[in-house]
Amino acid sequence: MLSYYLKLSWLSIKRTPILTSLMIVAIGLGIGVSMTVLTVNYMMDKDPIPEKSHQLYHVQLFSYGKGHSNSQTEDAFPMQVTYPDAMNIHRSEVPLRKTRSLATGFTVIPESADSPPFMQSARAIDYQFFDMFNVPFIFGSTWNEQIDQSPREVVVIDKELNNRLFNGENSVGKAVNLGSVRYTVVGVIDTWQPAPRFYDLNNGNFNESESIFVPFSLLPVHELPSWGNNNGWKTEKINNYQEKLASEQMWNQYWVELPTKEVKEEYQQWLEGYISEQQKLGRFENEKAGASLKNVIQWMKVNQVVPSDNSILVGLSFMFLAVCMINTIGLLLAKFLRRAPEVGVRRALGASRSEIFIQHLVDVAFIGILGGALGLLLGQLGLLGVKTLYSSYSQLVHMDLTLIVLAIGIALGSSVIAGMYPAWLICRTNPSVYLKIQ
Amino acid sequence: MLKMNNIKKIFRTDLVETHALRDFSLEVSEGEFVAVTGPSGSGKTTFLNITGMLETFNSGSYLLDGLDVSQLNDNQRSKLRNEKIGFIFQSFNLIPDLNLFDNVDVPLRYRGFSAKDRKQRIENALERVGLSARMKHLPSQLSGGQQQRVAIARALAGEPLFLLADEPTGNLDSLMARQVMQLLEEINQQGTTIIMVTHDAELARRAERNIHIVDGQVSDYQQLQPVLDVAEA
Repeated sequence: MLSYYLKLSWLSIKRTPILTSLMIVAIGLGIGVSMTVLTVNYMMDKDPIPEKSHQLYHVQLFSYGKGHSNSQTEDAFPMQVTYPDAMNIHRSEVPLRKTRSLATGFTVIPESADSPPFMQSARAIDYQFFDMFNVPFIFGSTWNEQIDQSPREVVVIDKELNNRLFNGENSVGKAVNLGSVRYTVVGVIDTWQPAPRFYDLNNGNFNESESIFVPFSLLPVHELPSWGNNNGWKTEKINNYQEKLASEQMWNQYWVELPTKEVKEEYQQWLEGYISEQQKLGRFENEKAGASLKNVIQWMKVNQVVPSDNSILVGLSFMFLAVCMINTIGLLLAKFLRRAPEVGVRRALGASRSEIFIQHLVDVAFIGILGGALGLLLGQLGLLGVKTLYSSYSQLVHMDLTLIVLAIGIALGSSVIAGMYPAWLICRTNPSVYLKIQ
Repeated sequence: MLKMNNIKKIFRTDLVETHALRDFSLEVSEGEFVAVTGPSGSGKTTFLNITGMLETFNSGSYLLDGLDVSQLNDNQRSKLRNEKIGFIFQSFNLIPDLNLFDNVDVPLRYRGFSAKDRKQRIENALERVGLSARMKHLPSQLSGGQQQRVAIARALAGEPLFLLADEPTGNLDSLMARQVMQLLEEINQQGTTIIMVTHDAELARRAERNIHIVDGQVSDYQQLQPVLDVAEA
């Protein structure tokens, strides 16, 4: 009977094209607005590295002095670590993989005199960064472990920069001028834009990934500047780079890969031991001194990747959808009641109330699917608007298959709910009223 | 086959109560052709609606093919209506955006026949009324008489026990009315029981039995005879 009901639905649409179009537009508008908001919210909240998000941990050390804390977070831990701490905890052999990390940047000077120099953000990291975060290579690979101990001027660049500097050719072994220093390319990564940029939520949740990756060990050699946030809690005289490296300023990040619960517990104990060691040296004086390990999902929550305002916005968008559906109920009533004489004939010919009810629900569902399809188009326009207004959200403004299915599902579900009352009303109609039996 | 006993039907509004049928009793046997006549407001419509199970009644009993209709729920009544009763209306009541084939198909769909079976029945029914060549036409492309023949085909396709006809010739000119009446007579001769409401005394005369309803009750046939005589004169 479903195919029969769908055929009747199609005939019904052809019979009342304007009324049906109004309903499709009403549903489409509601779905379009709610899906635009929901897409941004969903993509913000999406696990950016599901295969590893519960094995990758961001390390936080409570290195504040007495009376100091971070008022921005619930547990008051600082978001970053000091350079000395980053160096010291890097000695641990417990993690499967580990990396220090710093947002930095360079002036890139192309070889060709025709091409002007340009600024490019970069990241100073350890060689395991790429394996930890599943960064795909198209040419070459990361540098070797030795370089993290004895620094050398090597660099991994991304596909876009490789296209710009080397016309997309394999550039491994070629030189890149970063500022006044020549670096040798050892690898080229494919496009890699995790959204949110979970590995550095301290410097823009949805900023683009860097194009240049250099060894962290080069920090003291070339005095690489910090292009990210620097947090301090005490007055320190910092007149040169060496003093910055030795300071209590928190400007580095530290990530570890801990594959099991046991390894995590072992590493937590190692960090507690490190803190005790440091306390003997006069650091970590705060009563809350300790270490915190947060996996990717926990780290996203701490950093409020999805702002609380978003849930209000999602609520409002669904209220708008509800208003659209209430309008649809009115239009459905008009459409169905116009069809009452036909329903009377069908009842006289043997259709039961439940068959009439189902026929009309299929009709509504068909309209709902068409409205959902229009809603998807409008949603894409809405996302285009978001992209235009907020360039940092460019990674978020696309619907994946889940969202497309969800949009159709919401359209279908809300339409069927909206159609319940009109369908119930029409199936309760006394058929004899419309048959004009005399 | 059809047995109504002391049927009472009252329509109530906030202000008035209308007794449409009072102690209405009637028995119709298999194969009969019964004409129902009566003045406007006499209860003919209500009688036909109750017979077709489109209306319920307040008291009394109604047995259709041995089944007590008052004990059935909507689904059971719809199924019974679909299987046992065919309707023919004064205004044909064809669905305008379905072609003839699909119009005749409507009751068969609710019956759950296979596509092959439905097709066979539709073709046979349209053949029987002489419209098999126009299956793909829309009702609006037919004359009134042809539309009524399609309605008859629709009623016959499911091979019902009863045909309930409501003024089947009321919207037709005399030539077409004669043709439709002739068709109904043929159908009756082939065994289908027909109950026909009509204002036309000549048509009523052609029926095997005449029922006259006055004030919601069956009146004697003898009471009807002078009316028919006057009409004939």
